[in-house]
Amino acid sequence: MSISVALTKGRLEAKTVSLLEKCGYGTEALKDKGRALVFPDSKKDVRYFLVKANDCITYVEHGVADVGVVGKDTLMEGGSDYYEMLDLQTGKCCFIVAGLKDSSPLEKSGHIRIGTKYPNVARNFFRQRGMDVEIIKIDGSVELAPVLGLCDGIVDIMETGTTLKENGLVVYAKVADISARVIVNKASFKLKRDEIMAFVNDLERMTGNAEENR
Amino acid sequence: MENVEMPVGMRDLFPADTRKKAAFKKRIRNVFAAYGYQEIETPLIEFYSTYRDAFASIREEEMYKFVDESGKILALRTDMTLPIARVCASKILDMELPFRFAYCSDVYKVRQSFAGKRNEVTDCGVELIGLDASADCEVLGCALDVLEAVGLPSYTLEIGNSDFFRLACSEAGLDRKDSLFLADLTDRKAMPELREWLSEKITDRKVREFFAMVPLMNGRDALNEAMRYSFSDALRHEVSYLSGLRDTLCEAGYPDHIAFDFGKLPYLDYYTGIIFEGYVEGVGTGILSGGRYDRLLAKFGRDLPACGFGVKLDYLVEVLPDEKRKIRKLYYPKDKTAEALKKARELRQETAVEMIPWDQEDMEVRE
Repeated sequence: MSISVALTKGRLEAKTVSLLEKCGYGTEALKDKGRALVFPDSKKDVRYFLVKANDCITYVEHGVADVGVVGKDTLMEGGSDYYEMLDLQTGKCCFIVAGLKDSSPLEKSGHIRIGTKYPNVARNFFRQRGMDVEIIKIDGSVELAPVLGLCDGIVDIMETGTTLKENGLVVYAKVADISARVIVNKASFKLKRDEIMAFVNDLERMTGNAEENR
Repeated sequence: MENVEMPVGMRDLFPADTRKKAAFKKRIRNVFAAYGYQEIETPLIEFYSTYRDAFASIREEEMYKFVDESGKILALRTDMTLPIARVCASKILDMELPFRFAYCSDVYKVRQSFAGKRNEVTDCGVELIGLDASADCEVLGCALDVLEAVGLPSYTLEIGNSDFFRLACSEAGLDRKDSLFLADLTDRKAMPELREWLSEKITDRKVREFFAMVPLMNGRDALNEAMRYSFSDALRHEVSYLSGLRDTLCEAGYPDHIAFDFGKLPYLDYYTGIIFEGYVEGVGTGILSGGRYDRLLAKFGRDLPACGFGVKLDYLVEVLPDEKRKIRKLYYPKDKTAEALKKARELRQETAVEMIPWDQEDMEVRE
């Protein structure tokens, strides 16, 4: 049976496609996209489509995609009705808490305000520390918010840290490590187990963590 | 016109869907009746405390709640198992055991907004109360017959065993909190987190390998894998219990649509013994689910073993083809109403008839 795979557009896209290619998948269509929306694999019985990160979870949860490749950041923020089967060890970065120099939101007592694109992740982090936190949802350029005084700190993704530094922000804590994950629809896993395990195993061999995990 | 909205997760069902839904309800009810289950109805509203006392890990935010005249919190029922357990434990004390109850009722859960999920679904199921694990095969057989009666070509009944996992946890010396945490990771097949947790918490290599494999003990090789990684005789015994269930069902002539998943561990605090789920092709979620829950009734003061399952009808309706009904139309002149009514009654012996008045002088029947 054919399986359909939802890949996340953008940051993870090129990394995922090259990983698939290394594993022997026929990804030509994905590299020369044109106007197509669905891309058949030229070697195996797989079809891909490219979606935004949040939609990747939605497509998988509804069973429209059997398998999805999506960042742990998106998984942590929402959704849980899927199997998370593999850490692809690529697209690595982390969630951090940052704030202005000499003003750590973690050391502030009482009510604090945190700006973030990831309200659930931020809320959970501060609640676990028993802190009284108010989350302000921001959609872009989160670094700007503390500089302008909208909030005491931010929770955001950090890859290199350059953007933070340029805006005079300091990292005060790491919330979690992030990397690309393979998620699987629960019912698909029952009905297409062999095909899905073959796909997962192919990727697992290439990520090089098969041995150490056993 | 003003835009009249509906609460999140609610739907109106139109004839094409109600027709399908009624047809499936009938097929499923026939199977229940053939197994001697009798239908029961309970109120849509229960005390919130009834749910809270019965379920250790209740999700408060998933319940519709409101307050009665004395200030007590009420809730819309989220399932039918709990109301039936309440009835069996508190009302029918002199009825002969076992009880076989069936239901076809709407149940309510508040779900995440905008996820396209329903908050109101019709649940059709059975509860067999007062018989221990020796009745597992009968309940599983009924589930297989229900899946067959639904009429889709491809379906699977997947069986797991919560005792297998509970036993492994206790033999590995894990406390309740760790066991529940591990069960959740296993049930979600959250492999990266699971492996990380195991490498921190479990030193014995064999035990670690076992727990890392449990989420993958499913599919065709499930029994062999479970046997191979089991680290004690007691565990191996639990594996053979499941394979024995399949042998018994097949010997009895049930279709072999049975699969196993030892990593199926929802609500470890609730289920005891077998847990099972039915899948059909085209639906992204299980449509039948159930298991043994020998400890629930004791929470209401009557210690009886129990096992049951339910089918979520609404998810089926979406994938099944419509069975179009034939309705004939009888056109008639308004001054011949009595004659037309009579004619229509005659015709209704064969098929449905819809009457339409018109301005012509004759009566006419159209297909």
